[in-house]
Amino acid sequence: MMRSLCCHNKTLVMQTARSGDVGRPVLIFWIIIGWLGFLALPWYAIEDGFFAFEWLFDGYPFDTDYAPAAFIVAQGEKLWLAPLVLPLLAVTAVIGRPKSDPLYATILIAASGFGLAWLVLQGFGIGLRGWQFGMLESLFGDLGDRQFGMGYGALFVAVSLLFLFTQGIAARGAINGDVFVVSAIGSVIALITVFVFFPIANMLASAFITEDQSYSIAVFFSKFFDDRLWGLGCVAGGHRCGVAWNSLFLAVSVGLLTTLLGLVFALVATRSGFKYKRAMRALTVLPIITPPFVIGLAIILLFGLSGTVTTFVADLFGVQPTRWIYGLPGIMIAQVLAFTPVAFLVMIGVVEGVSPSMEEAAQTLRASKWEVFRTVSFPLMRPGLANAFLIGFIESMADFGNPLVLGGNYDVLSTEIFFAIVGAQYDQGQAAVLAIVLLSFTLGAFYAQRFWLGNKSYTTVSGKGDAGVHPTMPKMLSVPVIFIAVGWAGFTAVIYCMIVAGSVVELWGLNNSLTFKHYATAFSVALEDNGVRWTGAAWNSFWTTIQIAAIAAPLTAALGLLTAYLLTRQNFAGKSSFEFGTMLSFAIPGTVIGVSYILAFNVPPLELTGTGIILVISFVFRNMSVGVRAGIASMSQLDKSLDESSLTLGANSWHTFRRIILPLLKPAILAALVYSFVTAMTAVSAVIFLVSAEYDMATSYIIGRVENNDYGLAIAYSTTLIFVMLLVVGALQLAVGRTAIGRRKSTGQQS
Amino acid sequence: MMKRTFLATSIAAVVLSGTSTVAVAKDKMTLYCSAEENWCQLMLNSFEEATGIDVSMTRKSSGETFAQIKAEATNPKGDVWWGGTGDPHLQAAEEGLTAAYVSENRSELADWAISQATSAGDKTIGIYSGALGYGYNTELLAANGLSEPSCWKDLLKPEYKGHVQMANPNSSGTAYTTLATIVQLFGEDEGFEFMKGLHANINQYTKSGSAPIKSAARGENTIGIVFMHDAVKQAVAGFPIKVVAPCEGTGYEIGSMSIIKDGRNPESAQAFYDWALTAEAQTLALQVNAFQVPANTGAETSPSAPDLASIKLIDYDFSKYGSSAERKRLLKKWDDEVSVLPQ
Amino acid sequence: MSDTINSKAASVRFEQVSKRYGADVLAVDNISLDIEPSTLVTLLGPSGCGKTTTLRMIAGLEIATGGRILIGDKDVTKLPATDRDVSMVFQSYALFPHMSVLENVSYGLSYSGFNKTETRDRAMAGLDIVGLGAYASRLPSELSGGQQQRVAVARALVLEPQVLLFDEPLSNLDAKLRRQVREEIREIQQGLGLTVVYVTHDQEEALAVSDRIIVMRNAAIAQEGAPRELFEAPTNAFVADFIGEANLIPCQIDSVTGDTANIHIGDYAHTLPARGLTPGAATVAVRPSRVQLVANPTPDMITATISKATYVGVHMEYTVDTPFGPLFAVSGEVDDPFTVGQDMGLSFSGSGPVLLPES
Repeated sequence: MMRSLCCHNKTLVMQTARSGDVGRPVLIFWIIIGWLGFLALPWYAIEDGFFAFEWLFDGYPFDTDYAPAAFIVAQGEKLWLAPLVLPLLAVTAVIGRPKSDPLYATILIAASGFGLAWLVLQGFGIGLRGWQFGMLESLFGDLGDRQFGMGYGALFVAVSLLFLFTQGIAARGAINGDVFVVSAIGSVIALITVFVFFPIANMLASAFITEDQSYSIAVFFSKFFDDRLWGLGCVAGGHRCGVAWNSLFLAVSVGLLTTLLGLVFALVATRSGFKYKRAMRALTVLPIITPPFVIGLAIILLFGLSGTVTTFVADLFGVQPTRWIYGLPGIMIAQVLAFTPVAFLVMIGVVEGVSPSMEEAAQTLRASKWEVFRTVSFPLMRPGLANAFLIGFIESMADFGNPLVLGGNYDVLSTEIFFAIVGAQYDQGQAAVLAIVLLSFTLGAFYAQRFWLGNKSYTTVSGKGDAGVHPTMPKMLSVPVIFIAVGWAGFTAVIYCMIVAGSVVELWGLNNSLTFKHYATAFSVALEDNGVRWTGAAWNSFWTTIQIAAIAAPLTAALGLLTAYLLTRQNFAGKSSFEFGTMLSFAIPGTVIGVSYILAFNVPPLELTGTGIILVISFVFRNMSVGVRAGIASMSQLDKSLDESSLTLGANSWHTFRRIILPLLKPAILAALVYSFVTAMTAVSAVIFLVSAEYDMATSYIIGRVENNDYGLAIAYSTTLIFVMLLVVGALQLAVGRTAIGRRKSTGQQS
Repeated sequence: MMKRTFLATSIAAVVLSGTSTVAVAKDKMTLYCSAEENWCQLMLNSFEEATGIDVSMTRKSSGETFAQIKAEATNPKGDVWWGGTGDPHLQAAEEGLTAAYVSENRSELADWAISQATSAGDKTIGIYSGALGYGYNTELLAANGLSEPSCWKDLLKPEYKGHVQMANPNSSGTAYTTLATIVQLFGEDEGFEFMKGLHANINQYTKSGSAPIKSAARGENTIGIVFMHDAVKQAVAGFPIKVVAPCEGTGYEIGSMSIIKDGRNPESAQAFYDWALTAEAQTLALQVNAFQVPANTGAETSPSAPDLASIKLIDYDFSKYGSSAERKRLLKKWDDEVSVLPQ
Repeated sequence: MSDTINSKAASVRFEQVSKRYGADVLAVDNISLDIEPSTLVTLLGPSGCGKTTTLRMIAGLEIATGGRILIGDKDVTKLPATDRDVSMVFQSYALFPHMSVLENVSYGLSYSGFNKTETRDRAMAGLDIVGLGAYASRLPSELSGGQQQRVAVARALVLEPQVLLFDEPLSNLDAKLRRQVREEIREIQQGLGLTVVYVTHDQEEALAVSDRIIVMRNAAIAQEGAPRELFEAPTNAFVADFIGEANLIPCQIDSVTGDTANIHIGDYAHTLPARGLTPGAATVAVRPSRVQLVANPTPDMITATISKATYVGVHMEYTVDTPFGPLFAVSGEVDDPFTVGQDMGLSFSGSGPVLLPES
């Protein structure tokens, strides 16, 4: 439009375009969103679901259940919402002002800061039963009113105020006045605060609540120092140890074993001439896409009191079969089977990352193969070992399915937490205390690992081509390594055969005739006149799972990569605490996420339990650290001058992120997508607390079948999930492969 | 698929509201269900089919549901609470969370169901009951050369060492009922001696109440102390399980139903309440292999179901052993005196 | 061609600009400078001297922590890179590997308010200027290093920036290509009349391309001037040594008459321009080519011994031991070189040596 007026002078066009106030439309957009939330959308959450749109015809906009805040206030009700109009008016007045006007920033910051603070205060101050705190009650008297969870109206206002706040900060000159980066930082901080810190803090608080709803430190300590948690009976010759020790011992053993096996497989894959390593590699990765407790079921079918192996051995030696598998041995075998692949994936990156030229250098310095391994290769792999151990440790701590199925009398924290909530006791405080113990273990391990690694960065990938070749393992290492690898891979294969077999027999152990009835029960489809009818029992949870995984995966990847971008590419005050916050979610076991979410989001101002949203959110924040890691890894390989040159070419940081960084990060994006999709499909620990009748997930449905002794159906369902995930992962991997080649070609010569 | 129905209903809603200025909301209600998932689902579907009332259902354990109703007391979101063991229902009645209602169908019910209602001022009512007992895996019993148990005290025999399973009374209502039953049957001192003796034979205290019989069914355990209807279910599923009603007599639970006070749809709630007491509604249990004894005397029962008439039932004191003080006391005593013993 | 790409060359002005990282790292310390429009100015100095930081502050990639920066008449001190009318050619070229050459060159145009055809036309014109019109559809990885470098130049040029910045643009090229590309850059700059700020640590490159050179040292400006001025009249020992090497020898100024100073080093006396210095201790900077060696010394010469002799093709390089330490000398005489251990007479040529304050 501008061009046609002044096409004789292109210079002018350019100058206008470049020095134009880019932030203006964004500012107006967020102000409109804010007003929309205040004037038009229902302020409170709608019980029947917003998108049913029933509220539109049910007394909207006057019925206070559905009314926008403005209408509620206009009717003289819930007057505490009225002050929210002030910040909205104030920011609207800013529109006329130039960005350079100091008042512009001041008004934005002050008004939206006040608005946000007020929103939070009224949300927590006034709840289902009026005043939430006795102090407020005694100060202002009985309120005589109450409010429910916030809805879309409140959401719009909150988001609008948040982004107006960040625009104010940006206008102040923070991060070079970059609105996109400040907004990104602001939104990540807000999200992490609401969905990580708030629930955790809330959980901490509920550990101090006594039965009559008052706070007491004594109640926390009495629960915390309970003998059932910390008893040392097993060492002192008594009969059993505390749950905390049980969990700790299990997690440390599983961490060590998975790390060892992960290393073994990584060595076989990269440094041996073993013929079938490709097949072995595929097999070791299989457990990642298996709902974890399915392995536990297969182990029962093999080693249980009536298991195939147990009865065979008992008959062979004429001994009485025992229940040895129930307890520590069973959980440990199942967890090591389940978590070795993750350790393998961590280790292979590290083992491959050790620069061959260092090993070659050592060889030319007259070290033997064994000495090279012992003095160069292995020390360089140490950070990987620490990482793999940490992951195994945390996964084992959080694992819920295997202890449930195989635990016997060996109680661990995750199952104790579950039964404190759903069991006859119904003791949320107890669950919170147990969750705190669990959390301190994982955070402790997280810190210990960071402390130990310190600044020892052994990254030897330089980006420069390394022409060397990894030496093969010395004989004295390769023989036992291949022996262990083949043995364990064989065991895994047997387990998977059991899983498939278990899904196609009538009743395992009693009636071994072949049948597909379990698949039919779960996934039958009826063709009728008006289309397909999904009559199988599993369809509901199956579609919900796919839907939720498909929604959660891109959100996880997006949030993870955005965070990675901020961490690698931007400098801002408080960056290290920001980093800590984003990495924290990695150390929080799913069980703790589950407990803290139901404690935090069961009541206003954020009532999310029973919705699909809470499942999506739990997946996003549980898995985002993987996205962050993948993003950081690949972003640190992208030369920073790429974004700088984009900036000097007139693109803003949002354009740069979208057009330069994202396209070059495709492999990382897809890796994050695959990972979060798969975890969302197979996760149990957090999900088990958060599912509802309407939003049932496959894993909790399967656990229900297991509890019901319906192994056939459970295993058939799991087998189906495995194949579905194989398909999805395969499809995504194809895409990854294609981009990776394109990228390697294009960046290869550049360096 | 779900989206499409959403869309369809919202289009329908738009069309409807276009024709009439005031859209008449369809009858609806919210059901809190504390029975097994498929039973809940079946009840919901059958009720919707029978009355056309829209039901949205949340399934949670009775403990959780009780806590939820209590939390929502100032703004109840549910209308009817159906299923689950009687204790929390009685407690809700005691705390005034549920409403009194006398259904016209009450006359069709068995005495124990009505007495449950009258003891709570008509704020709850029995809908099914189940007696405690145990079941054993016949094949394992034979393979181990064990004699067939028929009384509670049989379970103390040393030959059963490592063959008996029950749930942990701390985490399971079933196991607490067992503990309370034993205490009422033998008196507190002798009852605890019994629990100590039993402890020596227990191979695992499971978390969930019905797990012992399920693992017995799969051949992972020999004897499981459970509600008899749970054992029957395994036998009917084809597992080699024999159900035992202990000779000394036994306790029982009464599954209950209550109307939540100040619910949003009181008419629909009463319609459900009335319907749920009918013989047809109670006969539905057979379709989902729920072998509890129905409260409606006219309802069909499975031939495999335990016949309450032939079982020696103790006079279970629900108000005493359902109170939280007594529960706490017994559990603590069990924790301190029984669970710490070596096995 | 040049009617499509125009110049909007503007001046650059630093007023007491500082850049501080954290509490105690001072990257640029209170510098002031003026860059005339349509000139090529080089920031020269050893690594870590602050020259790249200075360049990045012009670009807006770093924001100054003190002082003012003006481009043209506009105060841009707090303006981020996106909003400045400045383009930059990076040491690594920073071509977007996933975009074709044409897309790379069009990238900035698409954010400058041009429509599609205009963007394309301008980008093609830019590629023609650097002689790569035929390579528009290639990926950067399919070009040689020199070609990639020219794409980076074209990408920056087409935006008609007020200032065009080069950050060590030649360091990834081999010696021969380096000479060729730097001549091209100079041609384009002069042809279009661009304001160019150019960072390098290579003094020869700086001397070859610049209108003016700003020599930086320890976060501050050591000296600023035209290439010849810096080479022939350095004002301090650092500049003298950094540009074209120099032997820095302590000396004594005996007397100053008019513009001429009489100095002595030990027994050796010499006369040279005083440059405002007064009698007392001083330093004389003598370029290696201005050290004269003869096999038969006369008494007024310094007696010296050859301790090292190196043949480098076009000339000989000698290290010579003298009473006041070793000196470095070069000699065009390659056919009959001096030998190690030979005793020599040493003197400084009449013009060339520069008197500097005592260092």
